[in-house]
Order: sequence, then C-alpha cells, then structure tokens
Amino acid sequence: MLSRVVLSAAATAAPSLKNAAFLGPGVLQATRTFHTGQPHLVPVPPLPEYGGKVRYGLIPEEFFQFLYPKTGPYVLGTGLILYALSKEIYVISAETFTALSVLGVMVYGIKKYGPFVADFADKLNEQKLAQLEEAKQASIQHIQNAIDTEKSQQALVQKRHYLFDVQRNNIAMALEVTYRERLYRVYKEVKNRLDYHISVQNMMRRKEQEHMINWVEKHVVQSISTQQEKETIAKCIADLKLLAKKAQAQPVM
Amino acid sequence: MNENLFASFIAPTILGLPAAVLIILFPPLLIPTSKYLINNRLITTQQWLIKLTSKQMMAMHNTKGRTWSLMLVSLIIFIATTNLLGLLPHSFTPTTQLSMNLAMAIPLWAGAVIMGFRSKIKNALAHFLPQGTPTPLIPMLVIIETISLLIQPMALAVRLTANITAGHLLMHLIGSATLAMSTINPPSTLIIFTILILLTILEIAVALIQAYVFTLLVSLYLHDNT
Repeated sequence: MLSRVVLSAAATAAPSLKNAAFLGPGVLQATRTFHTGQPHLVPVPPLPEYGGKVRYGLIPEEFFQFLYPKTGPYVLGTGLILYALSKEIYVISAETFTALSVLGVMVYGIKKYGPFVADFADKLNEQKLAQLEEAKQASIQHIQNAIDTEKSQQALVQKRHYLFDVQRNNIAMALEVTYRERLYRVYKEVKNRLDYHISVQNMMRRKEQEHMINWVEKHVVQSISTQQEKETIAKCIADLKLLAKKAQAQPVM
Repeated sequence: MNENLFASFIAPTILGLPAAVLIILFPPLLIPTSKYLINNRLITTQQWLIKLTSKQMMAMHNTKGRTWSLMLVSLIIFIATTNLLGLLPHSFTPTTQLSMNLAMAIPLWAGAVIMGFRSKIKNALAHFLPQGTPTPLIPMLVIIETISLLIQPMALAVRLTANITAGHLLMHLIGSATLAMSTINPPSTLIIFTILILLTILEIAVALIQAYVFTLLVSLYLHDNT
C-alpha cells in the first residue's frame, strides 16, 4: 500500500515516470518490507510428534471419551445406522455395493501395506536426520582433530631443547673435526717441505762423496806409474806362491 | 434407471450454485506443504512420490523443456488425485466432464506446438512428412500428418473422459446388478468379487494419468526440442 502511494507520488512529481508503468509490479515487490512482526521472545513450542488417536481411522478418541458418561458410543452408532436404513434416509442402491467394494479394497490395502509405507516414510526421515547428524559429527571430529594436533604440537615444543642440545653438540663436533683435519694437513705440509730440504741435503752430500771418491780414485790410478805397477804385481805373485806352498802343506798333515 | 445411471455425472449444484468449483479445488487440500525438513509420514511419502515422478518425467528434456516441469508435475498430481477421489462413493469426478478435459488439453498442446513453430520452423514443419516416403504418396501423407497433429488435443481430452466415464459407469452397472441379484439370488456373491476385481483394475485409472501426461510429454518433447 505504501508502495502504491510512492508510485502515485512519483507519477505526479515526475510525469515521465508515468510511462514506466511496466515497472509497477517490480517496484511493489522491491519495496515490500519483510519481518514486520515482532520476533518470538520465547522458544516456539515444538510440533507434536504423533497425531491425535483415532478409532476406525475416522472418529477421534475424544469423541468416545466425551460420550462415555452419557451413552455408549457403539449403541449410539448402531442406532443411528439402523434408523437411517429403516427410514430410508440412506437408500441402499447400486452405489452401496460400489462403496462396499471400494472401502473394502481400501481397508485391505491399508491394513496390508500401511506399516510398510509408514516404515518407509520413517526411514526417509531418518536418512535426512542421519545426514545432518553426519555433518555435525564430521565438523566436531574435524575440530577435535585440530585440537589434538595443537596439543601434540605444544608438547613437542616443550621437548625442543633436546633437539637444540643435540644440534649444538653436532656442530661442536664438526668444528672440532674440521680443526683437527686442518691441523694435520698443516703438519703434513710442513713435514713435506722439511723432508724436501733434508733429501736435498742428503743428495748433495752423496753427490759430493761420490765425486770425492771418483776424484781420489782417478788421481790414485793416475799416480800409479808403470814401474810401481810392475813391482807390485811381482810382489803379489811372490806372496801368492808362498801362500800356496803353505796352503798345500796343510792337508798333508 | 436411465436417470439414475448417469446421475453421478451431472455437474453438482448446491441450490443452483455450481459446486464443481469447490470439488475441483478440494484435492490440493490433501497435499500439504511444509516448511520443515522433517515432516510427518504423509508429507514425506508425498514429497518422495513427487520427487520420483518429476525426476522420471523430466529426465528426457533439455533445459527449455524442463521449464515446463512445474506445469506437468502439477498436472499429473491433479489428475491422479481427482481420479482417485472420484472412486469414493457418491463423489463427483471433474475429469468425467469433457469440457474440463478439453480445457486442460487444448492449451497445453497448443502451447507446445506454437513454441515449436516459433523457435524451429523447419523442424516443426518437417514432422509433417516421415522419412523415406515414396514421392507419389507425399501430398496424401502431408494431409494425413496434419490431421493427426490437429487431432492430438481432441484425442487427449476424449481419451481421459471416455476412460474415466466408462469406468464409473461400469462400476455403477455392476453395483446395480449386484443389488438386483441380492434379492433374486443371494448366493451370487461372485458378482461382488467381480466388482472388486473391476475396481482394482479401475484403480489403474491412475495409470491413465501416466498415459495422459506421458502422451502430452512425448508430444511436447517431439514438437519442441527436436
């Protein structure tokens, strides 16, 4: 109603808007206000789970309870039916048999398949509830898992100093090993150099010795004149003869 | 006897006012709506049934055809409930009146055909000639196809009317036969059994709804989306 007032006001204010009549319903819907009632301050009572109890599928139980102080309901019912039949208020016609067969088939069908259909409907509802329950449980489980993970992470953090100690030890050992390696290498290098010098010295001395020996030999050989050589050879021969005589004499004894 | 036989098909009036409107408006009262997820058994079974039928029916349509799903599902629900309620004693079935069935059939069929002609003229016209006809037969075949197209709404309406009316009439007749036999020859309870069997077959009037909507559906599909 307010929106119609707005529309007419707009039409008088801006005549060009009169041609926008086709926007009318949209404007009506767009300006409709929702949630105008007071919200419930107390929880709304839940719907009843089961319907009212009924006898013979038609007559509510309260009717029987209402009649019991006054008259028997079955007697009343029988009386009414017989009255209607006898006074021909209800005429037995072809329709009566049709009605009998329809109602008979209906009652038979309901009695036979009623519980099955009821269970089926209950199962459908239970499936829906189970789905929602599943979602809720999954959410709770997820959050619980997150909590457990957080707790275990916190516990791990408490034990972290072990890790740091081990790492520190590792690093110290590695440093030590590197230091010793380098020390050894230095030692080896220095020894190498000193060995080199020593071997150079040895070699020089040996070379000098050999050279001296060669020089001495050469001069000695040079200094041996031919005369001396002959004399020495003759002496050696005489010595040898003497020795041979001595030697030969020995085994005879 | 004659008057009584067809008495149940007279449109009921209450003091001269048509009660047929009330009768036609009654079935939706039996199909409650609910804004809750978990409902009572009635609503649950009804919702499950409607979901089943709608999925089954609209599965073969494309997006454009599925815009008709509300119309078709409400159509099948209406015809089903109306037919079933007409089985109760002393009740009036609106679908026995040819006027109502024509009012249902003609607009739906016309809507489908016109939609088909508007969007795909060539496809719609191509339906008038089946594939692989020998050339001399073409003129005659076009005429025959046109007639078969134009007769579709009539066929839909008359089919439904005739089936329901025939069923009700038969039940009436056999009921009156039983009534007569009960005074002449009581042990003829066999005829009552015949009524029962006939009745259960008549409850396959619900299958007529299937036939109705299905035919409508098929024609809609063929005309519109191919």
